[in-house]
Amino acid sequence: MLNKRIGAAVLTAMMLTVSACGSNGASSTTEDGKPVLKMAALEGGYGKEIYSEVIAEFEKQQDVKVELTISKSIEDEITPNMKAGKYPDVVVLGQGRSSGLTETLIKDKGLEDLTGVLAAKVPGEEVTVQDKLVDGLIGTLGTNPYGNESTYLMPMFYSPTGLVYNKGLFEQKGWEVPTTWDEMFALGETAKQEGIALFTYPTAGYLDSFFFALLADVGGQEFYDKVMNYEQDIWQSAEATQVLEITTKLLSYSSDTTVAYANEQDFTKNQQSILDNTTLFMPNGTWIAGEMGDAPKAEGFAWGLMPIPTLNEGDDRYIVTSMESVWVPSESKNKELAKEFVAFLYSDKAAAIFAKSNAVQPIKGIAEQLTGENQSFYSVYDAPQVKALVGGFVSTKPVEGVNIKAVLFDTANSIISKQKTAEDWQKDLNQASEKMRAAKE
Amino acid sequence: MISNKLYKVFIYVILSLLALSIVVPMLWVLLASVKEKSEFYGNPWSIPAGVFIQNYIEAFTEASMGSYLLNSLFATLLALVILLAVAVPAAYVLARYKFKGRKILNLLFMGGLFINVNYIVVPIFLMLLDGDKLLGNWFPNGLFIDNLAVLALVYAATTIPFTIYLLSGYFQTIPEVFEEAAAIDGCSHFTTMVRIMIPMARPSIVTVILFNFLAFWNDYIIALTLLPGPHKTLPVGLLNLMTAQKAAANYGRLYAGLVIVMVPALILYILVQRRLVEGMTAGGTRE
Amino acid sequence: MNQKKGRSKFIFLCVAPAFILFAIFMIIPTINVFRMSVYKWSGFSASKEFVGFDNFRILFEDMVFIKSFQNTVLLLVVVTIITMSLALLFAAIMSREQVKGKDLYRVVFYIPNILSVVIIAAIFSAIYDAKDGLLNGFLGMLRLDFLQNMWLGDQRIVIYSVAAAMIWQSVGYYMVMYMASMSSIPESFYEASALEGTGKVRQFFSITLPLIWQNLRNTLTFFIISSINLSFTLIKAMTGGGPDGSTEVFLNYMYKQAYTNSSYGYGMAIGSIVFLFSFGLSLAVSRITKRETLQY
Repeated sequence: MLNKRIGAAVLTAMMLTVSACGSNGASSTTEDGKPVLKMAALEGGYGKEIYSEVIAEFEKQQDVKVELTISKSIEDEITPNMKAGKYPDVVVLGQGRSSGLTETLIKDKGLEDLTGVLAAKVPGEEVTVQDKLVDGLIGTLGTNPYGNESTYLMPMFYSPTGLVYNKGLFEQKGWEVPTTWDEMFALGETAKQEGIALFTYPTAGYLDSFFFALLADVGGQEFYDKVMNYEQDIWQSAEATQVLEITTKLLSYSSDTTVAYANEQDFTKNQQSILDNTTLFMPNGTWIAGEMGDAPKAEGFAWGLMPIPTLNEGDDRYIVTSMESVWVPSESKNKELAKEFVAFLYSDKAAAIFAKSNAVQPIKGIAEQLTGENQSFYSVYDAPQVKALVGGFVSTKPVEGVNIKAVLFDTANSIISKQKTAEDWQKDLNQASEKMRAAKE
Repeated sequence: MISNKLYKVFIYVILSLLALSIVVPMLWVLLASVKEKSEFYGNPWSIPAGVFIQNYIEAFTEASMGSYLLNSLFATLLALVILLAVAVPAAYVLARYKFKGRKILNLLFMGGLFINVNYIVVPIFLMLLDGDKLLGNWFPNGLFIDNLAVLALVYAATTIPFTIYLLSGYFQTIPEVFEEAAAIDGCSHFTTMVRIMIPMARPSIVTVILFNFLAFWNDYIIALTLLPGPHKTLPVGLLNLMTAQKAAANYGRLYAGLVIVMVPALILYILVQRRLVEGMTAGGTRE
Repeated sequence: MNQKKGRSKFIFLCVAPAFILFAIFMIIPTINVFRMSVYKWSGFSASKEFVGFDNFRILFEDMVFIKSFQNTVLLLVVVTIITMSLALLFAAIMSREQVKGKDLYRVVFYIPNILSVVIIAAIFSAIYDAKDGLLNGFLGMLRLDFLQNMWLGDQRIVIYSVAAAMIWQSVGYYMVMYMASMSSIPESFYEASALEGTGKVRQFFSITLPLIWQNLRNTLTFFIISSINLSFTLIKAMTGGGPDGSTEVFLNYMYKQAYTNSSYGYGMAIGSIVFLFSFGLSLAVSRITKRETLQY
């Protein structure tokens, strides 16, 4: 979500076919007869060591050898070998990467069914994997991609996105954090009196977490899925109208520099306005604390993250959650061992290693193990009625000249500057959605 | 007389305004590059509190601007060598020799002036990719992509039309008596070109060097596309610094990077600026 | 006979390397641009589907493309007129008047042209910064607060903000060029007309302009091509085409379609249009500006 740099990423994907490297030999045992498990993982912001440590723990427990391939562009490393029939046994790689490797395997039915892992006991412990996982993730399109009862992708790390704000400011002013849109807009008026804007966004692209949550808030999960699947005339529906009306109203409360800074070069200045107490809320994710770590902050600043407000008190509140997943290719030669390893990833030992590096697994009670901002950020799931929302627009064949995300998010700039109305927005969205639907089949 | 004085004042005012609009931002970048982190959150027009060299050290060490600098130098210089070796003789022959096919060649190169590198760079990338696939057995890690020498070759190739246009324009202005004299002395075609004609075209060649140095040194679109790996050139590295996630904390480093990219071009320009005008117009004014 | 053979060999050896490089890296890719524009292809999948002129048909219904086309034309018109007028004005002043420090001015004015577009983008986003930018600060200092603006945020203004950066970049280059060609006009022309009592402005239009006309025409052709280029590289580094497409130009849109939207064939259709457009425009400009050449 952060790096929308045009060329490089996709070019990397285009290069999949050339860079052939890595280990050879399809044998799945070492010379002394130990079974070998090949693991491939995307190197995220948490570093490489966490995997090595977890693997060392696993090797202590079991008589296996785990070979790890880890890279920031892991697709480039494993795809050529996969084409040649050499598959890794366990892969940590989420959906939504520009290479679309995970999605491709989903489409090709190339993943092993991991439903059994949920009921299995965590190696070395007496509880099942299912017992440990937080609610709301299993069963979504993020884990059960075919929309049935079978789980193919296990949630590995997760992180919430929502509205980021300065907790300290709310305490100093004695303001309540709003839970409904009525409260939100009332706060907007109050803040305006003090010269504080209600809302900003770093760039319009950051509105993804906001919009997806709002769609689900207003129309429920079912409506959200319809929008993501480009159902016919879905943007003409009453729910969609309401979503756009609320958004338009919220955008009328945005800080006056929002649009001017909403580009790749200046977006941190919009983020800075939260730190300076000139704006109250912006859509963002847990990485913000590290990203703005060195930036000067208003006195008493403390990171806060809240789900977006709802229509009525007590409605379900959705948190758009980005998820990295772990899966087993169905071509793996060591499936049973691979599944055991996947289950081990949820053990207390592994969880402790991951948590130390702020790689947060969807395990119950994990928030207690976290420190600082992360504790504050992840406690967002503890609020009543909160549900995690995973996924995004269904992938289709590319449609020439149509980018529905650009229409949905970037138009916000034109709404703020009053170059377009909510009606224009709705019309454009419906057109784009219809074109995408035509390409779905 | 008064109106004449006013006119003079007016001239100096507008000249100075334009000059200021150039000098002030440049100075500002220079000053910003020695500011400390905390100074970037205050008034951006304040004079730096001290000279904070750390920005440069960080740019070279953490942001790898040092190795990018070497990459840029290598690609730029190699491209210049290839370009001159290839384009100077071609321009000379196209300007001074009558032969079959000359017209069509001139027309093709003229047409090349209208080809914008920015939209053919992707087909070039795909072509190189295909080449790599073809050679996959011998060079499993790829030969053409992520190769600075290939980048230099592409740089040189894509500036051939303009270079030939400029140089042959200049060659045409040289009187024929020189070649006639050389022929009487028994010089071969080759010696005539190397010993007599090329030295005479020096002003034009200097212009070509400067123009193309700037084009190669400052390019980021081609380098971004053809070097997807860790070997980057300076402008691409700089662009990464600008859009890096942690840009908020590293303005000093960014401006230091700007200066690092700017200085070599400035030095070369100041060295050759006197000759620049001569060579530049020769191509343009002829008819 | 032998000499003739030597001559042919020499010609061949001189021209062949340049032509081969030119053919491989320019002609073939250009042909490929046109060839791929009639396919539906994502860029990295194996399947290419021939779709005829479908991509072009979609183009003319694509509002973003039309907007990017308008923006490109607007930039070309505004930037060309202002840059050319300023460059001519400054060149005339510098070559006709006794200006102290002429050389220094000349050197300084040329500097923007040697800077990387990435640097220009960084400088101008600092100048245009809404809160503490140079421009707004300067206007505040002059008590012209009402002129302060969101230079990169206001969608009606932002395209002109980009235009200003482009003008800033190229004025010096063309000024130096015209100065050089003005300096070759014999002084006697001006002396003669001064005796007749002709003013400076009229001298400019009756002597200077006609005599450098040919040079002006040549530069104009290059200017169009390089402006299309510059508008793309600058916008890619400065605004990314935003806010909401208000600075989108067609080369930038081509990249977005070919890469981010995986519509490679469609992107190449845009590329074909750009080629035809710049070729046609240069031709038209060359036709329109054709005058009888005056000799000194």
